[in-house]
Amino acid sequence: MTARSLLALLCAVIAMVVAHAASAHRFHAGMVDVSYNERTGSTEVVHTYMAHDVEALLTALYQRQFDLSDPEDQAVLRNYLDKQFWLAAKGGRRIPLNWVGVTVDTDSVVVFQEAARTPVAQVETIHDAVLGDFLPDQQNTVNVTANGSLRTFGFTANRIEQTIH
Amino acid sequence: MAPRSRTLPLLVAASFAHACAWADDPVIQRVLVEGARASQLGIADAASAGTVNQKELALRTVYRPGELLEAAPGLIVSQHSGEGKANQFFLRGFNLDHGTDLATWLDDMPVNQRSHAHGQGWTDLNFLIPELTARLDYKKGPYSAREGDFASAGSASITYANRLPKNVATVSLGQNGYARTALAASHELDAGVLTYALEALHNDGPYRHGDDYQKLNGVLRLSRGYANNGWSVTAMAYRGRWNATDQIPLRAVDAGLLDRFDAVDPTDGGAARRVSLSGVWRRTANDSASKVSAYVIRNRLDLWSDFTYFMEDPVNGDQFAQPDRRVTSGFDAAHTWHAHRGDMSASDVTVGIDAQNDNIFNGLYRTAARRTLDVTRADHILETSLGAFIENATHWNGWLRSTVGLRADAVRFRVRSSLDQNSGRARDALASPSANLVFGPWRLTEFYVNYGEGFHSNDARGTVASVDPKTLAALDRTPGLVRSRGMELGLRTEAVPKMQTAISLYRLDFDSELTYVGDAGTTEAGPPSRRIGIEFSNYYKPYKWMSVDFDAAYAHARSRGAAPGRDRIPEAIEGVAQLALTVSQVGPWEGALRLRWFGPRPLLEDDSVRSRASTTLNGRLGYRIGRDVKIEVEGFNLTNRRAAAIDYYYASQLRGEAAPREDVHFHPIESRSFRVTLVKNW
Repeated sequence: MTARSLLALLCAVIAMVVAHAASAHRFHAGMVDVSYNERTGSTEVVHTYMAHDVEALLTALYQRQFDLSDPEDQAVLRNYLDKQFWLAAKGGRRIPLNWVGVTVDTDSVVVFQEAARTPVAQVETIHDAVLGDFLPDQQNTVNVTANGSLRTFGFTANRIEQTIH
Repeated sequence: MAPRSRTLPLLVAASFAHACAWADDPVIQRVLVEGARASQLGIADAASAGTVNQKELALRTVYRPGELLEAAPGLIVSQHSGEGKANQFFLRGFNLDHGTDLATWLDDMPVNQRSHAHGQGWTDLNFLIPELTARLDYKKGPYSAREGDFASAGSASITYANRLPKNVATVSLGQNGYARTALAASHELDAGVLTYALEALHNDGPYRHGDDYQKLNGVLRLSRGYANNGWSVTAMAYRGRWNATDQIPLRAVDAGLLDRFDAVDPTDGGAARRVSLSGVWRRTANDSASKVSAYVIRNRLDLWSDFTYFMEDPVNGDQFAQPDRRVTSGFDAAHTWHAHRGDMSASDVTVGIDAQNDNIFNGLYRTAARRTLDVTRADHILETSLGAFIENATHWNGWLRSTVGLRADAVRFRVRSSLDQNSGRARDALASPSANLVFGPWRLTEFYVNYGEGFHSNDARGTVASVDPKTLAALDRTPGLVRSRGMELGLRTEAVPKMQTAISLYRLDFDSELTYVGDAGTTEAGPPSRRIGIEFSNYYKPYKWMSVDFDAAYAHARSRGAAPGRDRIPEAIEGVAQLALTVSQVGPWEGALRLRWFGPRPLLEDDSVRSRASTTLNGRLGYRIGRDVKIEVEGFNLTNRRAAAIDYYYASQLRGEAAPREDVHFHPIESRSFRVTLVKNW
């Protein structure tokens, strides 16, 4: 595990212990890693959410069970993510994010997106309202790795957009 | 991109939040993301309760919309008359007639119609649109304080989607005059989501005198927010009209006088209209959840039947009409408080109240070719009920859960009849306790002990009547509410990989059995009864693309207090079994085969006449032409079995017969037929 991951883990644990002390309810958290892949020249965005939260969200939207290994059902999650999460460059221009895929296990849902041929430095604004509209106590942590340094941004239902420069 | 290192912080976080802290979704059940049927371990209070999701429902082969309920193991839905009539239901050793003792709801609206002209608890599901159906939740036995009237043998709750992931348009054509088209779509608006569906259908069936069933059906829903934090307002309208081939006497078929698909009186039939306006509001927070729903439903039914032909009136025949016009209005509200202590224990307390008022004009007329000859009875009924419950659901520790509840119900009947002797007022009230214990899970196995009391209401007319309107003979009044008592031992296991198995052993007692009187077309409050039965259901999904269902149920039903040898309950089904193979996502292909065994029934108290069991095979095959276009072929009764959907034993007299004759009267299951459907999504 790298130092960056350790730091992210530490941040998450502190946030959770604080939340746990305030309320012993299920903690609602999501994490997004934004980093540059030198090999492909793209900015990669990896979302990680608790499977239970995503299931509850989709069920509450559509009243039915979803199978996120089914491309048709993935498209439903994609529509939601595209609406709730985006990156913008200077001047507010949205940076197009391609849907790379999703992996699911019993604990987490991981979504992979990429902004082709775009360095992280182009990202000016992050909009992250994922699950915040559904779970009022949702906390999303966005880790941006650029030029070898990691910066962490916290998003809540009341704070859904931040400028990172 | 390796997700593992990134998931780790979340998993650590998850370890701080335990599965018992589920107050954020007490309304919507937990689901798994595995493509298999959602596990009921840790959720259901009984081995016999369950949920069927939209995909499983969509893969079923259904001849008529009511058959979607057959997704609940052990439940049989058939038709014994014209297609627009309410279905005939069988469950747990009951012939539930048109839905007595099976409480059915659609989005919190009651479907059962009480004090109905034709049958108590009349459940007409012809307005159900499968394209909108998102889930089916079922329970069996009276073990929940949340359900009241008619929920003794079981209950089924259907949920329509507030929004559709994909819009759908479909066109079907089939044999026997079958044609259907439907459109269902959602639009995002500023104010919320507008979801609508329209359906038009025609079907004749295999009958010599075709049903000419014509249906128009529509739903319009505006919803906002989420199912657990939001609201929806829904308008529905349905109209149908049909000709009916009612049951025919076996002797006439044996003698070659009638074809199996013939009718004795081709003017039998009916027309139904239903419009409703309903709303649901839900709010869910971390430690509480509230729900309020309200509805107004207007139902109109005209129904002409003839079960005895020329026995009572050799000149005009015995056809009768049972018109029923009603406005049903009501609401229900519930609030849950959630508390927990430590990691493994949590408790929910829920209180709820519901009220329902029915303003009913119905009657029984003698008719000939749908022309009224005279009025046997005509009634104006006001039936008002109030129910309240309190329920506690507690996770005591890692291996014990309990749900205990108490329900109180009161009902008031006011009947103004065409005969003064049959007018009057009555009231009744009762309390129904219930208790459920769940032990486990150990090795993915849970054990259940359930006890509960329930009830059904009797027809309001019977609670105040003092004379038979036909014969003017004196009548005893029936009680307004009839008690049932159920108990069950159950087991649910997922110990075998990819397999969900549930076994339940139950007993259900009724203080008075409602039985269908075939020659009068009415239900009658009868003697007490006891049913003991066992149910076994399995769902095996060895591969992502294949699943196998196998369900079997046996029931021993007897009247209590009857003379030895005369204690059988006519029409009480003794067994049901289903074996289904479903294949999906095999390249562009999907399909299903379903074998259904409909067990034998005694037709008389002394068991001297019995109906035979029947086995039918249905199937469907789907092929995806493009990403959004699919073609399907459905086949019904593939082996073309000549069996009966229902048999009755009673006296009738055909034209030309000198005297009434006791005989089996049956309605055939539909002969082999196919339908082709084109489905377009966007």
